[in-house]
This record gives sequence, structure tokens and C-alpha cells, in this order.
Amino acid sequence: MSEPASAVPNRTDLIVGGLFLALGVYLTVSASMLPSGSGGLPGAGFFPRGVGVATVLLSVVLLFNALKGTATSRFALEHGRVIGGVVGLTFVYLLLWGTGLFALRTFVFLALFLRFLEQSWRTSATVAGALTATIAAAFQYGLRVSLE
Amino acid sequence: MTADLLTGLLAILQWKVLGFLAVGVLLGAVFGALPGLTATMGVAILTPLTFWVSAEQGLAMLLGIYCGAIPAGGIPAILINVPGTPASIATAWDGYPLAQKGHAGLALGINALLSAVGQLTSIFFLAVAAFPIASFALRFGPAEYFGLALFGISLMAGVSGERVGKGMLAGMLGLALATVGLDPMTAYPRYTFGHSEFLDGIAFVPVMIGLFGLAEVLVQISERWGKVEPAPGKLGRIWPDAAQWKRMFVPMLTGAGIGTFVGAVPAAGGDIGSVIAWEQTRRTSRRKAEFGKGSLEGLAASCAACNGAIGGAMTTMLTLGIPGDAPSAVLIGALLIHGIQPGPLLFRDHRSFIFSIVFLMAFAAILVMLVGLLGAKPLARALRIPNPWLWAGIVLFGTVGSYALNNAVVDVWAMFFAGIAGFLLRKADVPLGPLVLGLILGPMMESNLRRALILSRGDWLGTLFSSPIVVFFLAATLLSLLLPLLKKRRTT
Repeated sequence: MSEPASAVPNRTDLIVGGLFLALGVYLTVSASMLPSGSGGLPGAGFFPRGVGVATVLLSVVLLFNALKGTATSRFALEHGRVIGGVVGLTFVYLLLWGTGLFALRTFVFLALFLRFLEQSWRTSATVAGALTATIAAAFQYGLRVSLE
Repeated sequence: MTADLLTGLLAILQWKVLGFLAVGVLLGAVFGALPGLTATMGVAILTPLTFWVSAEQGLAMLLGIYCGAIPAGGIPAILINVPGTPASIATAWDGYPLAQKGHAGLALGINALLSAVGQLTSIFFLAVAAFPIASFALRFGPAEYFGLALFGISLMAGVSGERVGKGMLAGMLGLALATVGLDPMTAYPRYTFGHSEFLDGIAFVPVMIGLFGLAEVLVQISERWGKVEPAPGKLGRIWPDAAQWKRMFVPMLTGAGIGTFVGAVPAAGGDIGSVIAWEQTRRTSRRKAEFGKGSLEGLAASCAACNGAIGGAMTTMLTLGIPGDAPSAVLIGALLIHGIQPGPLLFRDHRSFIFSIVFLMAFAAILVMLVGLLGAKPLARALRIPNPWLWAGIVLFGTVGSYALNNAVVDVWAMFFAGIAGFLLRKADVPLGPLVLGLILGPMMESNLRRALILSRGDWLGTLFSSPIVVFFLAATLLSLLLPLLKKRRTT
């Protein structure tokens, strides 16, 4: 006989709970290395430690519920390849920040971004050109921000 | 008072300030009308643009975006059943069926007119109630502010819906991020990892741009990419007739009142206000069966309520420094960068500035109505703009805007990583609202608690029970934490 669906541990909540548990433990431990205060008055480590302890307690509750299978959320990443591509392109664009001409690298980034989202080359180039010109006009010439 | 009122009015009666307000309303209308672009996103990614102008001009533009986006969110809700902003969820319930019956223009007209009524009602509330609230809050000492901040943070349970545990954890993440930088009392560096860029703490605006800009784009790609939205049909007559006005009068007032009240509750915005108003109107209506099928009463209540929440949220934000909803949370960050600290002292030291805000919002409400009535057709056409174009624009604008704040690449990376984290949290069903609450209220809570303890020489009990106001906030905190848990228990 198959197990009832509600008793299946919720993987998403397990991961979320685990990550927050790690954050809570880190905050609690690292806060103990900060000045704890004196004469009954809290020091720099007091607040982060309190947040850390509360995070640990709350994440344990979440993990407990996830193991019981009472939580219902599910991590669903539709179009993961497209999202990965968009994030990767943006990452490379930021890595190249400060190198070469702003207008050129922005135009190339946007054209690739749009092409990746299945716009035709012609549309991608046109929209990329328009957006680059708008941003450059607004920030470089309007607000005099140096983007090079 | 009259002198302050006139000074406040004269400060904004300049073509530049009114021009920025009009631009803000138009931009807000575009952000609201396009599904996937929200009021919060608009305020967040356009905040950097305001740093090159005076506080009045910058504030005019941001208030314009805020006031323009919420009603415009009703346009796609009515035409294609996709709410443009979370606040217009209830607008879709009756607006879309009305449009399906061939009355799309009428629904859009009601949305424009009653949005203005909702906004003006709540602005009146702001003008009347804010000064007494602020004057009461002037009595607050550190212990009372700690109690208030604690109460504000406890609301993260309430605004997390079904996800109470995850919402509270997101709030903890916000509080943890708020500890980065110099300790507010001793200036001891915390979690800076040796980088001087972090001494001032996490850059609030880039993080907001990441959470509500980049993250939203990634969520949209995940959920809407490849989907074709239905094209809106013909609009028809826009103006309601006398009989329709009569039917909508009471629901309109109910909606505006409920929206204003709910908006004033910290962290509860127009989405909650409009749903409550819609349900309340349905309950008391003689035509219950029509609700959800194109009821004018339902549409009137929801439109007035989601806009009424704006003035309510601004009242809480300006008087107590606690955000009433997500856009006002981002507005706090923008005001701080302009050197304006929301809170009761603002009402004591800059009374005319408060009146400037009231007048700006009132002018914005009138512009919103005009844009809604005259711009319904062009805004409906804007729904045909392909999503990838918008996504590319938002990513670029968010990136350049984050950089332009301080000409610092570290802000761009903060935006990027906040965007990725926000996306993953959203997909894991972790609400972002509590995170923002924690980030804003964390410093207020910590510094006031420690100040209060210094004043009471480390006496915790003496601090926590130092005045009836502190006890009230502690009781309210306990109640707001327990209520969602009890509610959840009852439903299971």
C-alpha cells in the first residue's frame, strides 16, 4: 500500500529550513565573537545573537513540519534553461562593467538577452539599440553619471 | 498651521515639481498597466533617478509613480484578467466579467474615477489624522520605539498568509542583514568581512531593486515566458450613468474607508484592503449573486479600497517611520537618501513638508483620474508590448540605476545577488515582505532597545514595563504573533 501523500517529507521546505538553520547557527556562533557588553548592557553581539537563536528555533520548526509532510509548497523552476541563460548573461555583463564603451557592451548584452528570449535578430538589435540610447541619454547626458 | 499649509502648497506650486509629479504618474501608469511591473518595482528602480533633483521634485516623482501605478494595475485586471499589481486582484473579480459582457470601457472608467475617490479619501485621512498621531508619538522614548518596532516586526507573521513560518524566517533574514555594518551604539564593525563598503550597512535601494526588479523579472520569465496574453477587445462607453453612480455610492465609501484603515495597519497593503472591502460589500449587498460576475458594487469597493490604502500606508510611514506596504517601504529608503527621516520629528520640525506631501498626493489623485479616463485606450494598447522587451529594460535600468546611486560597482553586485536570492526565495514560497520589514525595522529596534537599557541601567523588566504604551505594544506583538497561528490551527 502506498504512503499517504501528506506524510512525504517536503523537499523544498527541508532545503529552506536547512539553509536558514545554517544561517542561524552562523549568526549565533559569530555573534559570540563580537563584544557581548558589560554591566548588564548589551554589546555589539547581542542583537545578532538574538536573531541567530530565533532563526535556529524557527528553522527547526519548519524542518519538523517539512519532515512530517504538513507543508505544501514545492520548488518548481519552469524554463530553468532560459533563466540560467539570462542570469549568466547578466553576470557576464556585470563582470565586464567598466571595460570598453558602455554603449557598445550594453547594446551587445541587450541584443543577446533578447535573442535568448527568442526575439528575432532584427528585433533584438532594434530594441537593444533603442534601450541603450534611452539609458545613455538619461544617465550619461541627462544626469551626467559616468558609466564608462 | 495655516502658514505651514501655505508654505507647503507654495513649495510644490512650481512647474518643475508638478512636472516631476506628472512624469511620475505617467510612469506609474505604465508600470501598473503592464502585468509583471509593479508599483514597488517602479518606485525601487526609478528611485536612483531622483537623487539629482531636489527632495520635493524627487518625492513628487516617486509619489506620482506610487499613486499612478496602483489604479493602473486595474487596467490589465479588467481587460485580460491579469492584475497589474497585487492590489488589483479584487478588481479583476468583477472588472473582467464586466469587460466580457462588453462593458470594458465602463469598468475602466469606474476604475479611474473611484481610484481617485479612494486616494482623495485616504489623503484627507492623512491630512487630518497624521498630526495627532505624530504628536502622540512625540511622547515616545527609546522603550516605546522599541515596542513599536517589535510590533511592526511581529506583523511579518500576519502578512505571510499561509506561510507564517517561512515569513518569520524571511523577517529574520532581514534582521540579520540589518546588522551588517557599524554597531549603532559602539560603532564596532559587524559582518563587514574587512570591506569598507559594508561599514554603512547593506545598500538598501540596490537590494530593493534586486528583490523587486531583477527577482520579479526572473519570476515572470519562469511563469509567463512563452504564454500569449489575450488581446483586449473594444472599450465602449467609459462614464457611468446616474443610476450606476447611485448603486456604487455606498460600496465606494465602504471601500475607501476599509482601504484607508487596512493601509494604515503596518505591512498590510492595498491587496488585503481591497479583498476585505470586496467581501464586506458582498456580505451587505442585496445583490450577492452578482458578485464575481461583473458587479458594479464589487468593482467600486475594490477600486476605492486598493487606492484608499495608499493614504493609510503613507500615514503610518510618515508618522511612525513604519512602512504601511511594500512601495512605502521602498519610499522610506528613498526619503532617507534625500535626508528626510520619516517619524514624528518630521511633523515637529518640517510641518510644511508634510503639507507638501498631502498636496502632491492630492494633485496626483486628480492626475491619476485624468490619465485613467483619457489614457485608457493607449494604456490598453501598451498591453501588446512583448514581455521580453520589458524584461530587458528592467534589468538594464535596475543595473544602471544601482550603479548611479554612488558610482559603486559593489551596489550593482548587491542588486544582482539580492535579485537571485529574491527569485529563489519567491520560488521556494518564502514571502519577501517580511524581509523588507526586518531590514527597515531592525536598526530601529536594536538601537532603541539598547538606548532604553542604558537609561534603565540594564533593568530589562523596568524597560519592558516602563510605560503603558510599551506594555500595549508588547501585548499587540503577542496578539499579532498568536492570531495567525491560532487561525491556522482552526483551519487545520
